[in-house]
Amino acid sequence: MPPPGGTPPPHPPPDGGWGWVVVGAAFISIGFSYAFPKAVTVFFKEIQLLFNTTYSEIAWISSTMLAVMYAGGPISSVLVNKYGSRPVVMVGGLLCCLGMVSASYSTNVVELYFTMGLICGLGLAFNLQPALTIIGKYFYKKRPVANGLAMAGSPVFLSTLAPFNQYLFNTYGWKGSFMILGGLLLNCCVAGSLMRPVEPKASTESKNKVGVRETDCSMKKRQKKLSVWEEINKYLDFSLFKHRGFLIYLSGNVIMFLGFFAPVIFLAPYAKDKGIDEYSAAFLLSVMAFVDMFARPTVGLIANSKLIRPRIQYFFSFAVMFTGICHLLCALAEDYTSLVVYAVFFGLGFGSVSSVLFETLMDLVGAQRFSSAVGLVTVVECCPVLLGPPLAGKLVDETGQYKYMYLACGAIVVLASVWLLIGNAANYRLLAREKKKSIHTKESQETEPLKTSQSPSVNIKSGKNEEWKGAEVNSSERETNI
Amino acid sequence: MGTWQAPDKSLFLGSEDSRSQLSISAPFKSLPVQEEMMTKYSNLSLESHNISVTAAPFTSLPVQEEMMTKSSNLSLESHSISMTAAPFTSLPVQEEMMTKSSNLSLESHSISMTAMPIKENNKGNQICVDRGIMLQRNVTLEHSNMPVEKNITLERPSNVELICQFTPSGDLNSVNVTWKKGDKLLEDNYLVNATGGTLYTQHRVAVINSKQMGSYSCFFGEKKQQRGTFNLKVPEINGQNKPLITYLGDSVVLMCKCQDCLPLNWTWYGGNGSVQVPIGVPVNDKYVISGKHANETRLKITQLSEDDQGTYLCHAIFELGESEGHVKLVVLSYLVPLKVFCAIAAEVVLLVAAILLFEMYTQKKKKPSDDGKEFEQGEQLKLDDSNGIENSGPRHRKNESVGQ
Repeated sequence: MPPPGGTPPPHPPPDGGWGWVVVGAAFISIGFSYAFPKAVTVFFKEIQLLFNTTYSEIAWISSTMLAVMYAGGPISSVLVNKYGSRPVVMVGGLLCCLGMVSASYSTNVVELYFTMGLICGLGLAFNLQPALTIIGKYFYKKRPVANGLAMAGSPVFLSTLAPFNQYLFNTYGWKGSFMILGGLLLNCCVAGSLMRPVEPKASTESKNKVGVRETDCSMKKRQKKLSVWEEINKYLDFSLFKHRGFLIYLSGNVIMFLGFFAPVIFLAPYAKDKGIDEYSAAFLLSVMAFVDMFARPTVGLIANSKLIRPRIQYFFSFAVMFTGICHLLCALAEDYTSLVVYAVFFGLGFGSVSSVLFETLMDLVGAQRFSSAVGLVTVVECCPVLLGPPLAGKLVDETGQYKYMYLACGAIVVLASVWLLIGNAANYRLLAREKKKSIHTKESQETEPLKTSQSPSVNIKSGKNEEWKGAEVNSSERETNI
Repeated sequence: MGTWQAPDKSLFLGSEDSRSQLSISAPFKSLPVQEEMMTKYSNLSLESHNISVTAAPFTSLPVQEEMMTKSSNLSLESHSISMTAAPFTSLPVQEEMMTKSSNLSLESHSISMTAMPIKENNKGNQICVDRGIMLQRNVTLEHSNMPVEKNITLERPSNVELICQFTPSGDLNSVNVTWKKGDKLLEDNYLVNATGGTLYTQHRVAVINSKQMGSYSCFFGEKKQQRGTFNLKVPEINGQNKPLITYLGDSVVLMCKCQDCLPLNWTWYGGNGSVQVPIGVPVNDKYVISGKHANETRLKITQLSEDDQGTYLCHAIFELGESEGHVKLVVLSYLVPLKVFCAIAAEVVLLVAAILLFEMYTQKKKKPSDDGKEFEQGEQLKLDDSNGIENSGPRHRKNESVGQ
């Protein structure tokens, strides 16, 4: 059987034990990464007054942080591929701390862009990618649950950081708060120290050597002759762009993210526009975050079940479609009760999509290539994530109504879900066909891998296939695609 | 709005159009007068129009004449004149109020009260007279049995018309209507009318300066005295409710804002305790007063020190009075958050050290028993390098038994 795009790991994933501690560590890292850019907006009003700028200039700090966090993905992927998750996360924590402490000494907006946006954003990037990667290394059987639990960090941290930031602001002002938040971000180092590498160091060298033979059909004996392309791929696996599943995932996600975040950002203004008071509007967001918090692990459990796991790509597409339909129906909401209902369903949809977002990527490319994959995905997703809300805002300004923005976002998300559904259905079919082909070729004793890049998915599918003789072959299939 | 009509005489009710010319009709005959004092007054000037009002054969008091009109858009320049009815006394004329400068607008506010139980149907005589245009901008009716209060925010000089409406349970004529400003009883400048079973009283005030601001109350004396109060106030200024936290050597910007009003001038006062010292009088670098729009003011303080702590007041000066907002400033030393930061950093270092030590400890424990297995693993991996994938099955099987 041709090995997956990655190499067979020396150790199979533990699927438990220390893995749950790692999930906790990933919970912290992911929580900080996603929640921090949104939670710092509490300080912006006073900073805007002090630095005498417009609000949009200040709001760009948050966007810069998010942009750098996504764009820094490839960098952190390269570092993770070389050094493993632990050192990268610890460096990320230190960078975040440095960024925030120097932000507390800044005197104008540009310095804030640099310290908070760039340095802190990079630190958060060094937290996000390794945290996701290490889950793939520690889990296989229970990976969707682990992913769901770790991703739940985002709403939990957001709902705690926001009021906590308000308290810090009232007690210490923005300068003191930034310093204290820098200290708080040092806790990412603690999370990083918990991320014990799975394999002992002795095997890393062999792993690197073995990793070379991904794209080429060359024999292992020729591994010493590395082309430039292969050198690069050793650090960041660009060959993923030839991977069919990866491309479907990437294109679907790019379309989806255009319309994914804007409804969250505009929920409170939409409610206020309908005449609802400020506190009830803010309560809508809390409802959404609360539902999100519980939806993520629950959906992770559902995705782990025997029924869903093999068809997880369909599940993802349906979750995206559910969210899109929610947005479309929101345009019909007229009063507060219907908006609360919308918030509940949106929280459900948002949570289920986020929970399996990275699980599906792992499912497609395998854990070995996942670190490169997530880096490439985030850097490409950077554009729609950043462009989405301003475009939506422009739409609201042009039409004067939030209704059309919700309809547009809903339509985009539904379109993305349809594309993902069709693409993945085709992918599954092609993979089944290739698997049948490779069975024949394997039986005919060929050693050359036919299509290495598609094999991870094939191997996953074959896990449930009873055609293989002997459990050992099944287990090998299962392990090789990790 | 209603028509104030005298029983047997002509009345002109002006249209809403301020440009239309209005002439006030010929003299009133003597009006039946109730116990209450009535005054009637005429007002109004229209654009570029001088109107003089005479009312004879009332009193021998001449009516003021000056009426200034300025170019205005839909605001009436108004002039209060009071005349007393003949049978009464020859009360001197009210002080004339001249409006010279800005356009005065006429605002009308009213309160209504109903006495319980339900009123009787009482014919009631019409006892008041009025003539001319009234531009009622703001009429609100509140029904309540309790003392009713209404706050009116005034920024510029204007004419304010206060209407109280009362439905007595008993006889209309037995109700005693009075107006008071604060505690002082007002003797003129108001009208009383009775229509249906309801008693209306209207008091017009030309608010020119702060002397006319305050609290006006209308009283209906029945079995229980009913009272409605209008509080004329200048607009409120919003400072900052929560104290601003700053640090030594820092800069801070204090802002005061007025929602929908434009003060003439802003001043800042700072002080510890009761002494209010104006800021910015000796102009120096430390304090910079600015403001992007007229309805807000900003005070930037640099080089903060402990003495700068305290409450700062921003004074807004209107034509009709003053209003102020508060901003509280707290100056802390940098050590305060630094201590928290150091505490958190220490906690982090401790945790990281503990975790890594724990890991090394568990690795050491494993090491003696692991030596043999490691050797085997190394062999397996070498095999993996050299062989093909066919060995993956047995290799993994062995790994499973060996590893973890």
